[in-house]
Amino acid sequence: MSLAAHFHTLEIRNLSVRAGGREILSGIDADIRCGEVTALIGPNGAGKTTLLHAILGLVPYTGEIRFCRSEEHGKGTPRIGYVPQRIDLDRNAPLTVLDFFAISSQRYPVFFGRSRRSRTDAEAALAKGGALHLIHRPLGKLSGGELQRVLLALALRGSPDILLLDEPVSGVDVSGEELFCDFLEQIHRESRFSLLLVSHDLSVVTRHADRVICLNRSIVCQGSATQVLTPETLSTMYGSGARLASHGHAEGHGHLHGKGEG
Amino acid sequence: MESLISFLYSVVGHLLPLSFAEPEFMKRAILAVLFVAPAAAAVGVPLVQFRMAFFSDAIGHSAFTGVALGVLAGIHPLLTMVAFGLFVAWAITQVKGRTGLSPDTVIGVFFSTVVALGIAIISARKGLTRNLQGYLYGDLLAISGAEVIWMGALSASVAAYLFLAFNRILLLGVNEGFARSLGVKGRALETSFALVVALVVTTAIRAVGILLVTALLVVPAAAARNVARGAGSAFWIATAISLVSGLGGIAASYYLDTATGATIVLCAAAFFALTAIIRLALGETA
Repeated sequence: MSLAAHFHTLEIRNLSVRAGGREILSGIDADIRCGEVTALIGPNGAGKTTLLHAILGLVPYTGEIRFCRSEEHGKGTPRIGYVPQRIDLDRNAPLTVLDFFAISSQRYPVFFGRSRRSRTDAEAALAKGGALHLIHRPLGKLSGGELQRVLLALALRGSPDILLLDEPVSGVDVSGEELFCDFLEQIHRESRFSLLLVSHDLSVVTRHADRVICLNRSIVCQGSATQVLTPETLSTMYGSGARLASHGHAEGHGHLHGKGEG
Repeated sequence: MESLISFLYSVVGHLLPLSFAEPEFMKRAILAVLFVAPAAAAVGVPLVQFRMAFFSDAIGHSAFTGVALGVLAGIHPLLTMVAFGLFVAWAITQVKGRTGLSPDTVIGVFFSTVVALGIAIISARKGLTRNLQGYLYGDLLAISGAEVIWMGALSASVAAYLFLAFNRILLLGVNEGFARSLGVKGRALETSFALVVALVVTTAIRAVGILLVTALLVVPAAAARNVARGAGSAFWIATAISLVSGLGGIAASYYLDTATGATIVLCAAAFFALTAIIRLALGETA
């Protein structure tokens, strides 16, 4: 990690989210750091997607989410890229991948045509992700893996400071998953945004994450991947019989910032 | 305003030099359809993507109560119909975002409540039933010059709104979080779209009636979906189908002596059948 790793890009302080009279998230303190891959893990219903929605400003919350920019990223509010878990489109919805790029970037309505810029942007972004052949395909007919590539290409187009990925490898076969992770690692090395990744897949987490946040309505623990992914933590979150059979000591357990800091 | 109307009449006279378009009431009807049908179809394209057909139906049926309230209060029923439609649209979007209930459940509750309220008012005032006939089935041939002007203004406003918001509405329909990451304010946009739909629906009721108004929004957009490859072509195909079925429906109803609104909707439905056959013929991948 370079020096820039010490600049926080996203500081979450005492964040709570209530919905329907129920506390979905409470007292969340976390830092998502510049240039790092942070994995967010937790069982179903732990509030992982809700946390992403709070960062996006989609759900009301109490507490603070501060965006701090490091010098190298310039001034102004940081850009957030987001790759949702799924999209709400029918299979025969008349919206091609190129249309999707056009409605995301051009001002005038897509029924007056697509601007040359949105087309060249789309071609460049898709080519980078090895998805150029999908450009004229209807969005609703893409497979899980194809859709993820398109969504990622779109999220990266604006060179975001923070990239939020909600279960990027769900609905993707194993080889596709590896391709996706390698691609992600490569662009992450090039652009050095902070990456927050929701995942169920602990092998993806151990291979790619610098830091891990374990969430189950509140923070169970956070720290570097090796500190956090212990049998104790996993059984606290997922119940006994959780995957990952190593029997290390639960050093980072319960600490807000693991030893990786500083 | 008089000169504007007579100008529009002469335009229709030049464009359609046919016998059925000669009487002035037919010219008004044709103008009304030229204004309302494409506006409804254009709004219908994102409406179908949002799966809001039921919402549009609920607004249509709220007109029942809107008209009854107008007659009761001694205000022109057209005004109360539009105002009440807007109110119901606003109320549905507010309640929908604040409960854990699914959208169709919330809409279902509002739908039955407003219809029940309308029936209650009408049953208490026996004389009201006469006023309702024209709203239930539409009364395109009895439209006044002022209403034609109102429809023209609506059509222009809808065009302006879609020019500004169409891309963002489609984006919101794909995924709310993704739209938000690009700076789209979902709730405000959704509310504005619901209000525009309410405006279009309540205005179009004069043309095709409460029972059929949703068809004017949904059927052309659904037909376009069968054959369109992209968002742009879906928009233009839907608008073209609505114009052709609107004019074709008026002409056919003139010669067949059928209800105009119903004939227009039947024309649009024929386009749906045709495009569905084309889709099948080209195979699912088309």
